[in-house]
Amino acid sequence: MAYNAEISRNNPSCFLFLIDQSGSMDDHFASGESSRKKADGVADAINRLLQNLVIKCAKSEGVRDYYDVGVIGYGQKVGSAFGGTLAGRHLVPISDIADNPERVEERSRKIDDGAGGLLEQTVKFPIWFSPVARGGTPMVEALGRAGDILSAWIASHQGSFPPIVINITDGESTDGDPQAAATSLRDLATDDGPVLLFNLHLSSQQGAPIEFPHDESGLPDQYARLLFQMSSELPAYMREVAQGEGYEAGQGARGFAFNADLVSVIRFLDIGTRPSNLR
Amino acid sequence: MKLTYHLAALPKGGNSVQEYEDAAWPPRSGCVATPLFRAAVADGATETSFAALWARLLVRAYCKGRLRSSQRGIQSLRPLWLRSVADRPLPWYAEEKVRQGAFSTLLGLTLSEHGWEASAAGDSCLFHVRGEACLTAFPLRQSNEFSNRPVLLSSRPHGSGTDTIQGEGTWEGGDNFFLLTDALAAWALGQAEGGRPPWETLGRLVQCPEGFAAFVAEERCADRMRNDDVTLLLLRVE
Repeated sequence: MAYNAEISRNNPSCFLFLIDQSGSMDDHFASGESSRKKADGVADAINRLLQNLVIKCAKSEGVRDYYDVGVIGYGQKVGSAFGGTLAGRHLVPISDIADNPERVEERSRKIDDGAGGLLEQTVKFPIWFSPVARGGTPMVEALGRAGDILSAWIASHQGSFPPIVINITDGESTDGDPQAAATSLRDLATDDGPVLLFNLHLSSQQGAPIEFPHDESGLPDQYARLLFQMSSELPAYMREVAQGEGYEAGQGARGFAFNADLVSVIRFLDIGTRPSNLR
Repeated sequence: MKLTYHLAALPKGGNSVQEYEDAAWPPRSGCVATPLFRAAVADGATETSFAALWARLLVRAYCKGRLRSSQRGIQSLRPLWLRSVADRPLPWYAEEKVRQGAFSTLLGLTLSEHGWEASAAGDSCLFHVRGEACLTAFPLRQSNEFSNRPVLLSSRPHGSGTDTIQGEGTWEGGDNFFLLTDALAAWALGQAEGGRPPWETLGRLVQCPEGFAAFVAEERCADRMRNDDVTLLLLRVE
């Protein structure tokens, strides 16, 4: 059965984020966080996701390398989007990510005080990735670059849980039709199954969020439909997790979301939420 | 009342002994003559940090009689855990882990000349066995009741409740009490459900560390036992 490899320090898995950094990401969100620029929202989401991944892998003695993680930006150029000492690196063990944020900000947050009230607490908020919005949307080149990076990773991790690629974009590729590059990427596989490609579409079109649809009939435009077609079907266990959290995610559901809350969507794609699978 | 007790414990396959996050009390095999005896096992949750310490605090407190009121007892343990883990500057992710707290199951057994009482939070299980007959399985009774989301006791006040389930019964000389953490408990129930009572086998293996390790490795390899920390505490009462 595919997608059941145990994730361990000897047998890590891989997350690769592809981030649209084109000029149009300077636009504001169409719904929900409409006061924010898309590029700011994406940067915040990626930083939170990296934090969550690090925290998930943190144990008493330090951070265990259950994952290699990359962030590839595509806009004026295509390449590693890490800042600070990780700049230029494609896939980085999660412990290196933990120890090398570009900077650590302090933010306040309210927590339950255990007695029915709320306490305000200052917490550290590490930043690895800053917002950028410049140039076109070379999605074909970005998917090709992901293919190169993951081919090399898979060659040395054939027994691992397959890599998960999460492409976050506002939709329109400017260097050609990305379908063939997406298919090539999904055709890469470890012994445990093919690479999973998920697409999160941040449209400027108004419309209610759509998460994990199983057909394209309800999607509002050609870019959403194209991204849906490029997306992998959710494996059975991911559908179960998503259903447990209230998403419909029926048979044939794809790893595609339209104008959805990024952090909550990606949380379900994060296989590390299954402690039984990590050691 | 005369008791002999044996302990066998193993980390997950692929992990080191230092990474074992279950806990048991008493922490080694022995024998004793006493009118009252307490024993406990706990299973620190893998996804939390400093869970082994929390599991150790819980079993020790139970066996010292400090958890007779589980709510007050657990509340009084939390500052001990916090002082032990936050006594030095920590990196940002460890600070967050401390804020989230550690989580653990707890199964405690008190034996006296009047009978036995048990207290459980989560899926660590007690089996009261006479010969090859399991008289009581507590708190879970069937192998399909195990899930990845058992009830857990939190080391932080916001984490979860402090509720435990209580059980009790009487015993006869020669009875065995098996305290098992979840992977082995689920395996044992599965064996019993399949008409293969495992108690004689476990009673023999718990006294032979090499044999126990080989048996667990074989069952994991054959996918009959989940790869998790394993703890088996056997008490025989005379």
